[in-house]
Amino acid sequence: MGTSAIELTGLWKGFHDARRDQTVIAVEDVSFSVARGEFVCLLGPSGCGKSTLLRILAGLDEHDLGEVRVDGHASVVFQEHGVFPWLSVEDNVAYPLKVRGAGRAERRRRVAPLLELTGLTDFRGAYPHQLSGGMRQRTSVARALADDGEVLLMDEPFGALDEQTRLVLQQELLRIWPDSDKTVVFITHSVDEALTLADRVLVMSARPGRILADVPIPFGRPRDILELRRDPRYGEITYELWRLLRKEPAETRPS
Amino acid sequence: MTTDVKQGSAAVHEQLVQRLRTHRSGRIPKIIGPFTPLLLLVIWEVASRSGMLDARFFPPPTSIVGTFADLVMAGTLQSHVLATLSRVGVGLILGAVPGLVLGIALGAVPWLRALFGPVFASLLPIPKIAILPLLLLIFGLGEASKWVIVAIGVFFYVFYNTMGGVLQTQPIYFDVARSSGASRWRTWTTVALPAALPSIFTGLKLAVGGAFVIIAASEFLGSRTGIGYLIWSAWGTFSVAKMFVGIVTISLLGYLAGLLVARLERRLVPWSRQ
Ligand SMILES: Nc1ncnc2c1ncn2[C@@H]1O[C@H](COP(=O)(O)OP(=O)(O)OP(=O)(O)O)[C@@H](O)[C@H]1O
Ligand SMILES: [Mg+2]
Repeated sequence: MGTSAIELTGLWKGFHDARRDQTVIAVEDVSFSVARGEFVCLLGPSGCGKSTLLRILAGLDEHDLGEVRVDGHASVVFQEHGVFPWLSVEDNVAYPLKVRGAGRAERRRRVAPLLELTGLTDFRGAYPHQLSGGMRQRTSVARALADDGEVLLMDEPFGALDEQTRLVLQQELLRIWPDSDKTVVFITHSVDEALTLADRVLVMSARPGRILADVPIPFGRPRDILELRRDPRYGEITYELWRLLRKEPAETRPS
Repeated sequence: MTTDVKQGSAAVHEQLVQRLRTHRSGRIPKIIGPFTPLLLLVIWEVASRSGMLDARFFPPPTSIVGTFADLVMAGTLQSHVLATLSRVGVGLILGAVPGLVLGIALGAVPWLRALFGPVFASLLPIPKIAILPLLLLIFGLGEASKWVIVAIGVFFYVFYNTMGGVLQTQPIYFDVARSSGASRWRTWTTVALPAALPSIFTGLKLAVGGAFVIIAASEFLGSRTGIGYLIWSAWGTFSVAKMFVGIVTISLLGYLAGLLVARLERRLVPWSRQ
């Protein structure tokens, strides 16, 4: 794993609101790298700049200072999932293929296994307003898989789901990811989710977001997300991550 | 026992599926609905015959039927209807297509909107019928002047509603298109256009209504054909019945055209819950 797929160096990003004349620094001097084929979770409190960071990685926003390098195409699962209400489930999933000019037959062929995988086959002709929230979320995950970039950026993809569905989808993600060869950056504010999924957890501070710690997760793969929870190290790392998140506010601004 | 329960629930399941399959909520009102405007005619008839309405100005609808039949027999009504419809049809297309294209362009491209938005905003308040004399000078008394005036009226309805629809699109949809590698053109056709469709149809419905208003008025002045002319010429001969034939006919045309657009909307915007 010598080569990195993602490399961030001294990255800064701020927003200026001219109307209120207020400037918000969302990301402050962030540096990290992600090895090819690695699964990294970004863990941090709400508003710390996780989505901002992800949009920069996806090439959707410009950064202000520092350097970004992402090898290959990045597919995105957005926090607000962004499933098109005017397309059926199947057409939503096939959307990236369509805009790149894939024909109807090819789209069908490539989308079918992804619908199967995400359990949406029976609903492939349904419109998003006919789906449950979790199904919409799965549609958006399936679309990112159809997009098939070398890098997969996921912004709290399971955030809006109930605990049970979330566990099922985490398990699914762990099942399909190793064969996919993809580099994953997965954003979450759930400690449990981070250490269930990741090879490494990057803990971010409250706004302005900085990287507080880079915590390696020792669990091997394939993982069983239930058995994982019986491992004594699970509790230790959970404690460690919570400690990092809790002690943080007092130390944010030394001045 | 358990098998009994299972069979019972399977039967109920089947029954429910059947019920949901055949049940269409509000089916009867939906079928009858389009005909309720006839009720107005009935009220009018009664009011006129009972003297609540002055029968000189509001003759009962049944007495107009005779005039209506005469006009149809002579073929006059049909030729007027055809003239008006073709003007509205051509004008609609001439106005709606540029309205749609420019609405999407200005909605999706901020600098285009900043640059040219004020041009359209300053033209909008001009009463369309006020420029008819000018159009008659430019295009003459023929069809072209009617097409153009309808097109101008239609353009603004479609343009502003399309642009509004694009502007109200959640930015995330454009992000999805971009991160999927969609070209600008693809982004317009796959995101801006469908996102704006519900609002485009609102514009079209208003445009159809507006088109009939404009065409009637312009046929009063600069034409020897069309329903507007029929109404206007009836005034000259104080033929109230003929006037009402014209009024009812053009209202009916407008109404049917509106139904047609609504139908098209259901076909093209199946995702909007109605
Ligand atoms: N387009 C924008 N314009 C102005 N400010 C923004 C914009 N996007 C983000 N911000 C600000 O940047 C900060 C970080 O936002 P961001 O969405 O990255 O947080 P987050 O870590 O993803 O939070 P959450 O966990 O709640 O999703 C916030 O203070 C937010 O107000
Ligand atoms: Mg976020």
